[in-house]
Amino acid sequence: MKKSLMLIASLLLVCSMLFAGGAAETKATTVTAPAVSYEVTEPITIEWWHALEQQYWPLVEEIVGDFNKSNDLITVEAKYVGNYATVNETLVAAHAAGTGLPALSVANTPYVAEYGKGGLCEDLNPYIKATNYDIDDFGEGMIVASSYEGKQVTLPFLISTQVMYYNKTMADAEGITIPAKITDMEAFLEKATKKAADGSTSRWATIVPGWDQWYFETFFLNSGVKIINKDGMTTDLGDKASVDLTSLFQSWVKKGYTYWASGTSASSTMRQNFIDQKSFSVIHTSSLYNTYKNLVKDFEVGMAWLPGGATKKSEIGGSVLLIPAKNDQATKNAAWVFLQYLCGKDVNMKWADGTGYMPTRNSVLTTQEGKDFLTRKPAFKAVFDNLDEINPRIQHAGWNQLATIWKSYLDQIMIEGSDVETQLSFMAEEINEVLADSE
Amino acid sequence: MMYDSSINASNEEALRLNRKALSQKKALKVGQYILAIGVTLFMIFPLYWMLITSVKSQEEVLLSIPTFWPQEWHFENYTNVFKRANFSKYYFNTIIMTAGILLSQVVTGVLAGYGFSKGKFKGKNLLFIVVLGALMIPLQVTFIPLYIMFANWKLTDTFLGLILPEVVSPYYIFMMRQAFLSVDDSYVEAAKIDGMGRLGIITRVLVPMCKSTLITITLVTFTNGWNSYFWPKIIAKNETRRVLTVGLVHLRNTFAGLDTMNNHEIMAGAVMAVLPVILLFFIFQKYMLTGYEKTAMK
Amino acid sequence: MKPLLSRKNTTQFKDFATVLPALFFLGLFVYYPVVQVVRISFTNWNLINDNYKYVGLKNWIWLFEGSGTKYLLNSLKVTALYTMGELLVTIVGGMLFALIFNRISKSFSFMRALVFLPKYVAMSSAAVVFIWILNTDNGILNYFISKLGGEKINWLGDKNRALLSILMLTGWRTIGYGMMIYIASMRGISKNYYEAASIDGANSWTQFTKITLPILSPTTLFLFVTTFISAMKVFQSVDVLTSGGPYRSTEVIVYMIYKYAMVDFRMDRASTVAVLFFIILLVITAATMKVSNRSVNYDV
Repeated sequence: MKKSLMLIASLLLVCSMLFAGGAAETKATTVTAPAVSYEVTEPITIEWWHALEQQYWPLVEEIVGDFNKSNDLITVEAKYVGNYATVNETLVAAHAAGTGLPALSVANTPYVAEYGKGGLCEDLNPYIKATNYDIDDFGEGMIVASSYEGKQVTLPFLISTQVMYYNKTMADAEGITIPAKITDMEAFLEKATKKAADGSTSRWATIVPGWDQWYFETFFLNSGVKIINKDGMTTDLGDKASVDLTSLFQSWVKKGYTYWASGTSASSTMRQNFIDQKSFSVIHTSSLYNTYKNLVKDFEVGMAWLPGGATKKSEIGGSVLLIPAKNDQATKNAAWVFLQYLCGKDVNMKWADGTGYMPTRNSVLTTQEGKDFLTRKPAFKAVFDNLDEINPRIQHAGWNQLATIWKSYLDQIMIEGSDVETQLSFMAEEINEVLADSE
Repeated sequence: MMYDSSINASNEEALRLNRKALSQKKALKVGQYILAIGVTLFMIFPLYWMLITSVKSQEEVLLSIPTFWPQEWHFENYTNVFKRANFSKYYFNTIIMTAGILLSQVVTGVLAGYGFSKGKFKGKNLLFIVVLGALMIPLQVTFIPLYIMFANWKLTDTFLGLILPEVVSPYYIFMMRQAFLSVDDSYVEAAKIDGMGRLGIITRVLVPMCKSTLITITLVTFTNGWNSYFWPKIIAKNETRRVLTVGLVHLRNTFAGLDTMNNHEIMAGAVMAVLPVILLFFIFQKYMLTGYEKTAMK
Repeated sequence: MKPLLSRKNTTQFKDFATVLPALFFLGLFVYYPVVQVVRISFTNWNLINDNYKYVGLKNWIWLFEGSGTKYLLNSLKVTALYTMGELLVTIVGGMLFALIFNRISKSFSFMRALVFLPKYVAMSSAAVVFIWILNTDNGILNYFISKLGGEKINWLGDKNRALLSILMLTGWRTIGYGMMIYIASMRGISKNYYEAASIDGANSWTQFTKITLPILSPTTLFLFVTTFISAMKVFQSVDVLTSGGPYRSTEVIVYMIYKYAMVDFRMDRASTVAVLFFIILLVITAATMKVSNRSVNYDV
């Protein structure tokens, strides 16, 4: 009896000694050799992870195919990983393992700080220097949005911003104008809503995507909410400005003006309502412009800037490109070549024309080329008129967790009709905790 | 001969009652069969619906009045799935993973089953309790350190990573032990006298005698491996080692924004993912049906 | 010279060697991680960072007296509701099915196999099929409901319905299992009991409550215990059908652990919940074992 007990104990001990390395308190970080060459010298096949859904695949194939044809040494394999959240999960897991990493990956804009802090991405500054890559052609906001503490850890790839799509045919017929100010929203919503005889809503004035806080974030920022205070440790989402705005939204939902879309297939529900003319407008990303245009057959789609408050800012959405730091140098070099190609002007314009993503280059935005683009896509005037108002995302290592908490509280407030002030104060407490943890 | 009319009457009464009871019983029986058929149709309907949807066209899938038999047969849905998702790779990965799990569970299970039944060593009972104790520690509790451990060993997205946590099944060991215990010791002794070693006794005496248990438990292991989802989802996120179950859900999420539109293809994927197990089920029906009964009868 | 190992010891060692591989892997992949998960619950490990430090009881305080408490309570509630649902379907439903299918003639016995078949259909396939069946606008279930004059139901998007939808899926898969187990035990009941009872004039219902049920009590207990433990660990149906939503109304405890670990990468918080879950499982297992040893009569 004693012997066998000892046996188990020693077995456990041996096991834990053998594999204690698996949970060492500080894992060794990889150190790159000092003198690095950034040239690709040997044939190499690299993997590129993206989050572009089905409808974009032909374009992805074309762009990658062109690159593979033009480059003798590098072969790129594009891989659809899933939506941005899935890319994040997969990428962080691969980073933690230090294996199975792609040469190049997209990432949604708010993840930059988290990745930068965690050391997931390669600092691109040396590459930019070594290859004399011109990054000044990117809009300044985009460069800020893609860097972390002065390091250019990512570069802007497919950029979009929040907009409101509306039924232009309906607007013209009924004389509805999209308000420029949040204070004018009430009148607009009332006018654009249609009610059935029993008082239920037969046509929503607008639909707010509750599944991603990015869509309603700007309303808060423009109303003077900072979301994360200067100290980086606390939130002001529980304070008055936020409470007032949230209550306003809640009242719109209660009055049946606004539909709060969240949960499984919220996105397709929202889209379908708009197509079926059961909603006058929807708040969505500018990148889906072509998708909406192709899906809608019975009316004209208009695109408007979101109503502002004290300011009328919007935020950069879409994706950046990054090179995982734990890759070997040869892979990184090849990835850098491909990254330059993807962020290049020609490819960027292909995206801008084929989808609703925006041109990223100053040499397009501010020149004749930009004007040509607008004649092809007049609806983008709303965006071009406000280019200076597009700002980088809030960068914080705890942002992702904050967003999850915020969304779930707003869901509860909007759909359950819970008391705004109490809920938001609970929420602020919870958010403060994760912010402090992330410091 | 005089008849006691009262007896006669009561006899007839009993006969009538009996007949009535019989016809009642018959009606009950008919009712039972109708119920049984209804229940069976009800239970099989989701599978039928999966199969039928998988050969419809997209337009037909979206009809507001659904059709219960396809107007046209679209078998190309199946080939389309292979274009949209790397299903051949998922198949390959699933087969290798399942084979690996199966092989290692059979080996470790049969060996340990022998040791815990016919073997003689100190602490046998205590160690057996250690094995059974593992049944109470599910992967859902331990996956975090396991994942970190495997990540450090660079086993994410590898077959080893998929297989290793499933190498031993306490349940398998338990079942084999029970089966071997039912074999009389005299067979083992006789084999020993014939000069057989342990492996010989196991493979040539015990295993043949407990064949049906072995097949049953192995089939259970096979389906569990083939259908496993939780661990593969965590350890093999990348396409290179993605298995069918995870791949199918991934296929669905590829159409996330358009989720009503592509159900014909998603269903085709679902059919392909379950087909091997369903075939196996019909081939080995006898064993599969008793598989769970055996555990109940312990 | 004395041999290093006596003959008896060699046999002993060789016998021991047959169980060694199993013990080794169980130690490495089951017991050792348990120690680790407890340890991680005292750190501030975020997977994205390369290092971590010990923070004492911080995570435990978060779970019991902090913002984690209400999520924990919610998950426990959802898990309990789900478990009760699955128990009901497997035991009551399984028993009903068993009564229907028990004495069915041989030529119809294939129907039993068909009812049992869903158990072998991979959960992920079954789940995508149910997502399609339960679809609000194009789903076949809502079509039937509207045919019968009912309103279309948002099965997966309504927080009062989502858990029920998940139960439909898992119930569909387990009810046949319950049936098979009961049928197997019913076959073991001697006909003499029923004959004696019908001579005594007992009707079918009395026969069922006075004979069948008591004799089946060990089977019921077996089903109860195994279903209970497996229902507590439900994950896949939730993951595919609802991802724990809407509004955490289907966030069972394993999903909560998974979400903290693999979505937020908060290994610290996830481990803490996992340890608690483990303790709950142990307590429940111990309790059911105690009850089963005491109250069920195996002599029948």
